[in-house]
Amino acid sequence: MLRIALKDLLARKRRLVTTSVAIALGIAFLTGTQLLSGILSDSIKSLVGDTYDGIDAVVRSSKVQEVGFGNEIRTPVPEGLAGQVAEVGGVRASSGIVETITAQLVGKDGKIVGSSFGPPTIVYNWVEDPQLRFGTLREGTGPKSDGEIVLDFGSAKDGGYKIGDTVTVAGQTQTEQFKLVGLTGLGKDGKDSGGAKSLQFTTPVAQRIGQIPGEFSYIVAAADEGLSQDELAKAISAALPGEQVVTGERFSTENQESISQFVDILGTFVSVFGYIAIFVACFIIYNTFSIIVAQRTRETALLRAVGARRRQVLAATMLEAVVIGLVSSVLGLILGAFLGTGLAKAFSSSFSVKGGIPPITAGTVILAFVIGVGVTVLSAVFPAWRSTKVPPIAALSEVSVDRSDVSRSRLVWGIVMLALGGVLMALGLTDTGPNPIGEVGASALLILVAVALVLGPLIAAPMSRVLAIPFAAGGRITGRLAGENAARNPKRTAATAAALTIGVTLVTVIAILAASLKASIDNTITNSLKADLVVNTTTFAIGTGIPANIADQVATTPGVKIASPVRFGPVRLTDAAGKKYAKDNPEKKGPGAGLSGTADTAPSGEDSFMLGVDPATFFEVLDLGTLDGSPKDMAAGTFATTRKTAEERGWKLGDKVPMFFARSGEQELELKVIAQRDIGQSSLYLPLTTFEQVVPPGFNIDNAIYVVADSQADIPSVQKSLDALVKDLPTIKVQDLQEYAQSQAGPLNTIVLVIYGLLALAIIIALVGIANTLGLSILERTKELGLLRAVGMTKKQLRRSIRQEAAIVAVFGTLLGLVIGIAFSVALSIVITADNPDIFSYQLPIPTLVAITVIGALAGVLAAILPARRAARLNPLTAISSV
Amino acid sequence: MSTSEQTTFAAAGAVDAVKVYGEGDTEVRALDGVTATFERGKFTAIMGPSGSGKSTLMHCLAGLDRLSTGRVFVGDTYLDDLSEAQLTELRRDKIGFVFQAFNLIPTLSALENVTLPMDLAGRKPDQEWLDQVIDTVGLRPRLTHRPSELSGGQQQRVAVARALASQPEIVFADEPTGNLDSRSGGELLQFMRHAVSDLGQTIVMVTHDPTAAAYADRVVFLADGRIVSEMTEPTAARVLDLMKQLGD
Repeated sequence: MLRIALKDLLARKRRLVTTSVAIALGIAFLTGTQLLSGILSDSIKSLVGDTYDGIDAVVRSSKVQEVGFGNEIRTPVPEGLAGQVAEVGGVRASSGIVETITAQLVGKDGKIVGSSFGPPTIVYNWVEDPQLRFGTLREGTGPKSDGEIVLDFGSAKDGGYKIGDTVTVAGQTQTEQFKLVGLTGLGKDGKDSGGAKSLQFTTPVAQRIGQIPGEFSYIVAAADEGLSQDELAKAISAALPGEQVVTGERFSTENQESISQFVDILGTFVSVFGYIAIFVACFIIYNTFSIIVAQRTRETALLRAVGARRRQVLAATMLEAVVIGLVSSVLGLILGAFLGTGLAKAFSSSFSVKGGIPPITAGTVILAFVIGVGVTVLSAVFPAWRSTKVPPIAALSEVSVDRSDVSRSRLVWGIVMLALGGVLMALGLTDTGPNPIGEVGASALLILVAVALVLGPLIAAPMSRVLAIPFAAGGRITGRLAGENAARNPKRTAATAAALTIGVTLVTVIAILAASLKASIDNTITNSLKADLVVNTTTFAIGTGIPANIADQVATTPGVKIASPVRFGPVRLTDAAGKKYAKDNPEKKGPGAGLSGTADTAPSGEDSFMLGVDPATFFEVLDLGTLDGSPKDMAAGTFATTRKTAEERGWKLGDKVPMFFARSGEQELELKVIAQRDIGQSSLYLPLTTFEQVVPPGFNIDNAIYVVADSQADIPSVQKSLDALVKDLPTIKVQDLQEYAQSQAGPLNTIVLVIYGLLALAIIIALVGIANTLGLSILERTKELGLLRAVGMTKKQLRRSIRQEAAIVAVFGTLLGLVIGIAFSVALSIVITADNPDIFSYQLPIPTLVAITVIGALAGVLAAILPARRAARLNPLTAISSV
Repeated sequence: MSTSEQTTFAAAGAVDAVKVYGEGDTEVRALDGVTATFERGKFTAIMGPSGSGKSTLMHCLAGLDRLSTGRVFVGDTYLDDLSEAQLTELRRDKIGFVFQAFNLIPTLSALENVTLPMDLAGRKPDQEWLDQVIDTVGLRPRLTHRPSELSGGQQQRVAVARALASQPEIVFADEPTGNLDSRSGGELLQFMRHAVSDLGQTIVMVTHDPTAAAYADRVVFLADGRIVSEMTEPTAARVLDLMKQLGD
């Protein structure tokens, strides 16, 4: 029996391959991203390790603040502490370190070096001790005077600089020129590039650019010969009990973790699409096996007639599934290895990626095989089980084609599943169930399966005939045949289309959400922002902004009535709601090995962001509806918020709300203004006078300046004057409101494009499915095709008919996806609107949706090319006479 | 196209038709120099034992297969000169087919099956003729039915109607009654006879059944790829006798 099954499988190599391809693509994607994560985090670990190599202990402030993605900002320490550390017994060398993200390197072409999303640009002071210095000097010298700079060689190359050149640095307060005197690199001999871009200055310049005059970010120390890191850390904290001391090893690990966390999030995000692809592949496997089992009915019956047991019949089909699963896993792993290393190369501009053999771990291999074999076997179980129900007598019957009808109970089940999905969706979206995200996911799955697999077959036949109408117009028989062929086996058509439906549903939801968010941004800006022009930063990197002197110059430009700057910074809310949040979401990190002295002293609370604004002008430029309280009362130590936030957190006018800032500690701010409307940015508005006192260095910089022109001023000429002000600042642009709205939506476009790209995989797999089903169907219809050719159907007509059939199936799947996607997006928008009534506006991007449908149809046609060609090659004579 | 004298009388024919399968030791001469014409307006039967080449001859005459050497023609067209696409069009426009089984497209109604060749050509059927054909084979109440809803005899009648509907030069029937019981078979042969006698059609039928051959005007006997005999005005008994003779 096993031999029969294996022989059968080998006899149909082509089918084996096409079926395997579907699942292999999904596996390739999963293992590829895993490999990529592995490669990236290995690279990051070795880079960070290299960067902080040689540091035995770090003395730093215990005041710390989270700024998202696992990044944290610590309060600087006073300069004098460096001297105290140097005195401690066991310290061979020590140095105060300036490490801030307050400047960008401007390349020779006048553009900022690096991208907003790449690794940060870090300002360092030059450390004399080579062991404690960041990187290894590979060329030139350190900065001897305040006019000199040392760059990492990668950034110098990207910027087009060599030693002796004059380098432009865009700081937060001004853009300056320095003479390049040295180049550093990572690793023992300074050969590795990558990781952060480093700008190294003399200590006073670094402190000035880093905006921490008289302070260091932290102090590093190297131990005397024979002293361990732990012993050194203990010795220092014994001498300086008020400070926090960590070993070099822990310091390095902390830094690795914060970057790895980002890579992990990226990996998880991408692998979600791998699982979607595999889900799609399940449909294809299921479908393929259903067809194979049906086509093999006579063969199976014959086997049963000559004495095969049901168990043996089942085992034979399952064996086939296992072999396909194994082939897929191997194919997937090989493809994944290429994908992973290929992607890593693409990332090598951001991270220094080490070459060599990709780190395929046992875990990756096991994942590939578990998923490959598991998913294939699971998808094949039901069709295989059905094959055991073939009675031996079927061997004698004429028909070996799956003509099973759709049953009535299907409708009932479909409706039950839909209803259940609807209830789950409602529970999840209204946040009432125990696990809202799980509920939404499960309901989405349930609804998809209900519509695509359970209800799909009910509408597949009539829909196919309707969709065939344009093809059959004017009595064209090829179109009519295409429609009838798509309709003749509704279950098969529905399952084939379902694979496409999943991808299209997701694309539709994303397209609608993106369009809605864009419209919301547009609306918010046109409805709320009363400015004529915005002086705006064009990069999104933390620590970039508009130099401090620009705001004043803008304000005094002729024709400018109001210039209102806005800043952006981290805050931890330590009010009752914040404490509760912290209790519900405990932090994973805590004191551990390698830490001595004072533990982190930040009070518990909820991390958020705040805006620093000029109360006198801000509320004039930004229309937040009616204000309770007056902006005039917003002196130092006060803040404003929106009604929504106030209600959520239980604040009233005049309340003193505790907040924690790493720079200045915990303090209470008095709520002076509550604005009616919430426009979805941060809803905490601090007067700049207070903001400046509390934010960490790097954040104390204007992100945007809203400009209102005099009523009689000519706005284009005002824009020209402002352009002149910022012409030497590569990251600053003067934008009108339309440009501003566009720039705000910019990152959204990028993200949406990435998601489309990732979803393309699911759609490609669906196409493999269409091609596969079509190929099998054609096999079934050999005689019929032969007859058609005999009575005069040309090869061209035959190919066209098959392409049209595929297009009908594809459009059916696409339309189902559109409908489900629109339904999901409506459900989502109801929830989003409930949360953001003032800003969210639902948009149906009709042109995009039309494009999706057209692409779906074209994709179907594409999938049909090969099967259609194969069908046309059939010799009519052999087709007819193969009775 | 050359219009030799014979073509003006013949609807189709073969001249020195040779069809060889395989090479060397495994060479089989399915047709070994067959020359025959099939008269317009006549019902001709081709008979012969299995392997005699009767089906091959029909396939080659009908443009479903090509000769190794020799020529075949339908109407005033030599098939050997035609390209694959031209052959397809010839089958569609000039030839009607009735096969032993699986004659109909299961997804199309009876009427759609009948008009299929014309639909493929993008031509409108001649309604008067179509009505005549449909009434002759007695299909009118079944026109909207799918093949699966028709009996075997009815299905074959639809096939005959399709073969006649486009007023082809010639109709080829390959054991059209092979899968039918004798009553349905007899009815079908009646229709074919009627189509020739009363509607002026030309039919060439391959069969091994003497009773079926008796409906023809002329019977051509094949053995080992050659024409060995022929008979006009056949009766079942005479055909049977001749077959026995040939078999000895």
